[in-house]
Amino acid sequence: MANLKDIQRQIKSVSNTQKTTRAMKLVSTAKLRRAEELARRSRLYADKMNQVIAEIAGRIKCNKIGGIDNRSFCKIENPAMVDIVFVTADKGLCGGFNIQTIKAVKKLLKEYQEQNVKVRLRGIGKKGVEFFKYNEVELFDSVTDLSSKPDKSRADEFIMTSIEDYKDGKIDGLHIVYNGFKNMMTQELHTMKVLPVDAEQYECNETQNSVLEIEAQDEEHMLNSLVDRYVEYAMYYALIDSVAAEHSARMQAMDTATNNAKDMVKGLKVQFNKARQAAITTELIEIISGVESMK
Amino acid sequence: MDTLKLEILTPNGEIFNGEAVSVTLPGEEGEFGVLANHSSLSTLLEAGVIDIEKEDKSVESILINWGVVNVDEEKVIVLVEGAVAIRGESESAIAAALDDAKELINSIADSNPAIAAVSARIESAAQRLI
Repeated sequence: MANLKDIQRQIKSVSNTQKTTRAMKLVSTAKLRRAEELARRSRLYADKMNQVIAEIAGRIKCNKIGGIDNRSFCKIENPAMVDIVFVTADKGLCGGFNIQTIKAVKKLLKEYQEQNVKVRLRGIGKKGVEFFKYNEVELFDSVTDLSSKPDKSRADEFIMTSIEDYKDGKIDGLHIVYNGFKNMMTQELHTMKVLPVDAEQYECNETQNSVLEIEAQDEEHMLNSLVDRYVEYAMYYALIDSVAAEHSARMQAMDTATNNAKDMVKGLKVQFNKARQAAITTELIEIISGVESMK
Repeated sequence: MDTLKLEILTPNGEIFNGEAVSVTLPGEEGEFGVLANHSSLSTLLEAGVIDIEKEDKSVESILINWGVVNVDEEKVIVLVEGAVAIRGESESAIAAALDDAKELINSIADSNPAIAAVSARIESAAQRLI
């Protein structure tokens, strides 16, 4: 049977861990509230932006607008190179949050490699970047402190490289992979195909028989700047949604850790009491047998 | 009277969502008005003021810095980067909104000759309310 002192030491160490995990849970809860509020307010805008883009893409597809040949809205056959942008957290201790994103990126990477398409990986977030570096997968570029503090202008700057390269024809597609916030308990993995704009889901609806008019001196300019904003916002939204998800994942992981520590302390206490009782019994027997021998 | 459904959204949330009789928008090619049953249209907006005429004939002004508008037969969706609604319950609230609006105008980087006109427009919109 284990030494009384050893058990006591173990109890102390586990309860210290419990204190830490509880504190981390509280911190995450507070941060989550703020991040979630930000994500919730932006969701409306992001959804509407997607809707507007999808509608324009759909109408272009259904040939309601004649003679528009914008690269962002064309379906590209046989892509040669695509960009994959992934967003992970800068910190760990949040359960399967980062590994889920990494797995999705790896799957996408494999799919493209099977089709002989070159992939440029662009990483945001220390955890994902470190993972791919460790596994000797080449990253085109990476930033590490953007995912914990989403900043619109830095996000714009980062994604602009991909937008420019897409317009210049250097790349033929752009994906954003991130783990988003669904509710307090669950995260939802998103693999978005941002460019070219996917018009597949838009059905040519005959009742909407109107012709979409694009009022600008040149439609190219209008569509281009719209696409810029759309992609920039998609990137920014991915970042803030990811932060909210990260905190909810961490909160959950820390909650589980706190509960596990609690159970462990309970088990150890039982063990401690048993050991203590055994020690007392042994002592009593020793005294009684001592008295017996004196008779 | 026919009304149209108008939604104005910013990255920080909705700023207007409701029925309107007409809406005047600062398009890149010049100002234009939209009534109900307008044909489908997409265009960019530049810094300026959106005037919304509501069912009770009151006019609400919203200052924007950049945006895109998507019009179809039933609804008008305006997506803007930054916006300030010039409205408020009291005079001080209106004055605060006006200050916010001026700040937004000043933050628009390129000095556009139209900006002076925009400033004047929001001043008059505030006057109308007070």
